[in-house]
Amino acid sequence: MSDKMVLKAEIRQSTGTSKTVRLRKAGKMPAIIYGHKKAPVSVALDAHKFVRAIHHGQRIFEVDLDGTTETLLIKDAQYDHLGRNMIHVDLVRVDLQEKVTVAVPLELKGTSAGSHEGAIIDEHLDHLEIECTVASIPEKIVFSIKEVHVGDSVHARDVELPAGMVLKTSTDALILTCHLVAAAISAEDETIHEGEEAPTSPEVITEKAGEETTD
Amino acid sequence: MALMPKRVKYRKQMRGKMKGNASRGNFVAFGEYGLQALESHWITGRQIEAGRIAATHYLRREGKVHIRIFPNHSYTKKPLETRMGKGKAEVEGWVARVKPGAILYEIGGVDMEVARIALCRIAHKMPVKCRFVTRRHTL
Repeated sequence: MSDKMVLKAEIRQSTGTSKTVRLRKAGKMPAIIYGHKKAPVSVALDAHKFVRAIHHGQRIFEVDLDGTTETLLIKDAQYDHLGRNMIHVDLVRVDLQEKVTVAVPLELKGTSAGSHEGAIIDEHLDHLEIECTVASIPEKIVFSIKEVHVGDSVHARDVELPAGMVLKTSTDALILTCHLVAAAISAEDETIHEGEEAPTSPEVITEKAGEETTD
Repeated sequence: MALMPKRVKYRKQMRGKMKGNASRGNFVAFGEYGLQALESHWITGRQIEAGRIAATHYLRREGKVHIRIFPNHSYTKKPLETRMGKGKAEVEGWVARVKPGAILYEIGGVDMEVARIALCRIAHKMPVKCRFVTRRHTL
């Protein structure tokens, strides 16, 4: 993960939907800071700087709040209904040597051996929960799928983590499977759709026996 | 074969309103790429089926298509040249009520370009404006 970035925050005196909408229109990002058994503080950050930092893989920030600087980690982010814009962010107070549990994206690298045999990779899990120090949070975990053949499945226990990191996701959690589906299933699917008699209407639970629809 | 429920409590339903945006089912959850609705509309079971066929015919032996919407809402229509009144008409079809932000289809197991073309073919069958989206990774 890249180095810390210093952001300036303003304390939000007024909260609520209309106030935050006005804040966003003014180019600010509403956020909340909590953790370390201190009182939560509602703040506003510069939206453009913050989003640009996020796009560059930044997850830890130094936030200057009324002259005091705090180290903060992104805990959660809310997006609009289209998932385009970030509308609110939760920042948690941390120390760089403190251990935290974070979700780190899992990146699959390479082309699987199964793909050459006509199989597809079905990805079930795209992130792993790991425990590590704040200073050593990785941007992503890379897993090579070159040795994945047809019928193979990869579980969380199969992923090699960098030193000093502990896996918090269940070791049995399924990450991906490599299987032949399309050819067999779609052909079967087509035959089902062609062969079977289409029901004209669903069964009505509340309809009494022998009752027929009028009109 | 158009999608419809197997069992329902009541056959005929009120038409309802479609206010606001999709607050659920608005992110890619199963595949890698998705098709997101940008408008609210009723999408019939036939349109959903047409979209599925358009994608599977293009993808052939690759990938997996997930349909994220289901037509669970019935609508009725009076026959032509019928006088008004005499009660609610018979069920004409089943629709999914889609709000802006809802993910309609997802595709996994293929490259982005292949998924983009397949989802574009689906978008042509949809009565709403759509956009191509990818799975959003955890921060």
